[in-house]
Amino acid sequence: MRADILRTYKIVHTWAGIVSGLALFIAFYAGALTVFKEPIARWVTPPAAAPLATAMERAPELIQAVLAAHPAAANDLLLHLQTNEQNPARVSWTERAGKNGAGGGGGGHGAATTERRFRAGLNDDGSLRVEPVAPSALPDFLDTLHRVVGLPDDNDGNRAVMGVIACLYSLALVSGVIVLLPSLVKDFFALRFGKNLKRMWLDVHNVLGIMSLPFHIVMALTAVVFAFHDGIFEVQDRLVHGGRLESYWRGGTAPAAPARALADLMAPAQLLASVANIAPAFEPRTLQFGQLRGPRPSVRVWGFDPQDIARSSRGGFVSLDPYTGKVQSADLLPGRQPAAAATLTSFFALHFATFGGAAVRWIYFALGLVGAFLFYSGNLLWVESRRKTARGAAHAPAQKRSARLLAALTVGVCTGCIGGISFTMVMGRWLSGHVQDLPAWHVGAYYLVFFSAVGWAFARGAARAGPELFHAAALFTALIPLTSLCAVLVPATRLWASSSGAALGVDVVALLGALVLMLFGQAAARRARTAPTDSVWHAASAQNPVLAGR
Amino acid sequence: MPRIDAARPRQDWWAKSSAGLLLGFSLGIASGCLLLEVLHGSIAIDAQLAMWAVVPVWMTVFCTCYLFRTGRRAWLALGGLNLLAYGALFVARLPPPLQG
Repeated sequence: MRADILRTYKIVHTWAGIVSGLALFIAFYAGALTVFKEPIARWVTPPAAAPLATAMERAPELIQAVLAAHPAAANDLLLHLQTNEQNPARVSWTERAGKNGAGGGGGGHGAATTERRFRAGLNDDGSLRVEPVAPSALPDFLDTLHRVVGLPDDNDGNRAVMGVIACLYSLALVSGVIVLLPSLVKDFFALRFGKNLKRMWLDVHNVLGIMSLPFHIVMALTAVVFAFHDGIFEVQDRLVHGGRLESYWRGGTAPAAPARALADLMAPAQLLASVANIAPAFEPRTLQFGQLRGPRPSVRVWGFDPQDIARSSRGGFVSLDPYTGKVQSADLLPGRQPAAAATLTSFFALHFATFGGAAVRWIYFALGLVGAFLFYSGNLLWVESRRKTARGAAHAPAQKRSARLLAALTVGVCTGCIGGISFTMVMGRWLSGHVQDLPAWHVGAYYLVFFSAVGWAFARGAARAGPELFHAAALFTALIPLTSLCAVLVPATRLWASSSGAALGVDVVALLGALVLMLFGQAAARRARTAPTDSVWHAASAQNPVLAGR
Repeated sequence: MPRIDAARPRQDWWAKSSAGLLLGFSLGIASGCLLLEVLHGSIAIDAQLAMWAVVPVWMTVFCTCYLFRTGRRAWLALGGLNLLAYGALFVARLPPPLQG
């Protein structure tokens, strides 16, 4: 390959990487955690005050009671086939203020939210018991951090920012491979630990990047799609769909059915039986009823087939007419997907790890963390390759301000993100039931830690802040299992002890994570003492403070 | 190994990047629409596949646009590809001739 092309792509790789690296670190760290969104939700959610589980045999009775008392539930009613401590009720629904008229239960619409969720069960005497659901905002907040690279809100503007980052990420991937190609065979299996730090970081960066390249290609392309799909659809709608795209999503021009009485709804067991008929290996999880009073009533049966891929963490679905059981669409039903639909589903499955069960989720978790480390190592490499070496033993030159800035920023952002997420998790558990607006506390707690870490790194310089911030992140992460331990040992804290294996898994992983972070902290402390004085990682005054000098 | 300056490709960052981003996007859109012409399944699925097809083409062009020697060449070559793609799309979408 020509040397000038290599040189060009080296520049491209450096700058695409440096601009997107830290945003991608946050996206990958938070993304790795969202693979286990459900266990995290179970870890942070207090158990339901009273059991709401109603036997499946009484589900028809329960659904009718809910629809009679809460008409708005007819637009989005979920029947859960499996219940657990985080999702204890047989049915739940969402009411959207302003859309469904004055219908629905309870007054007091003073809350700022426009969406309210409820769950319900039947008392022994057949009466309905309804309680509002306040699901923890934590899993969705982690998801937001993941989707919009650390920004607080998933809106159009922030998604555009994410889209730009995703394009740079694609560019960094391809340019990185191009740059590595000429020496791939020589470098691939080489990990040269030794005196030459730049060589070592380069080897680590290369081996991680090449080994997980397929994963990163998938993530880069899907991320660009998730950022820009609205715009692309709009362009194509005008170009070739003649403005009919909206009607395609609604299932084309299916004739409106005559209005039917809610009492004529098919029993869930019957609906499930007709699904089992067409897809025996399909394992349904949730029934989602929609528009039960509208012209196009529908029920989506969500679930998984262990042998097939699924579109989302809810699974794939088949939609039926809830009054007749007639299949409306089975394109996305696991086990029955035609080739085109399976291709489409594969894009989602490859991003969300909704195939291959728990094993694949663990692999994605690991690949996500490795990805985060890849971007971290890329930044370290940038700093290392711009190092001005000391000539002779006289006195070490101060490093360029850009190198000191990026070193501090890298340490601050990475430890701030890790520590902030751990801290907001722990805080959710301690403050649950004690504060009014827990979702806002989650956001505040995360950004407090995040910006404190960044500020600390700038104030102290990368060398001194590194060990301190890694140890702080380790401490916050260790608080996760310590909180659970506290719940068991000290009932006076009014924390709850979780009995589920999923929540225990969160504790174990957090404990391991804390240990790894502690090792990072110790390595950073050792480096601050023993690194050459011309390194930004040496605690000498020449490399501090961050902002002085050139 | 050292080349004389005249033979050196120019970096032309803005010209090459804009060619890759803009013409890559329009080429992606055309590719997606062309894909739609050969798919004959459920339209709701096919329309989504046509959307997904845009991004791989777009990103491939964007990532390889620095292989062109100059920005001018990038604009000419990718512009030509766009003309071909939209020409093909136009022909593919012509109403079928009346059958006797």
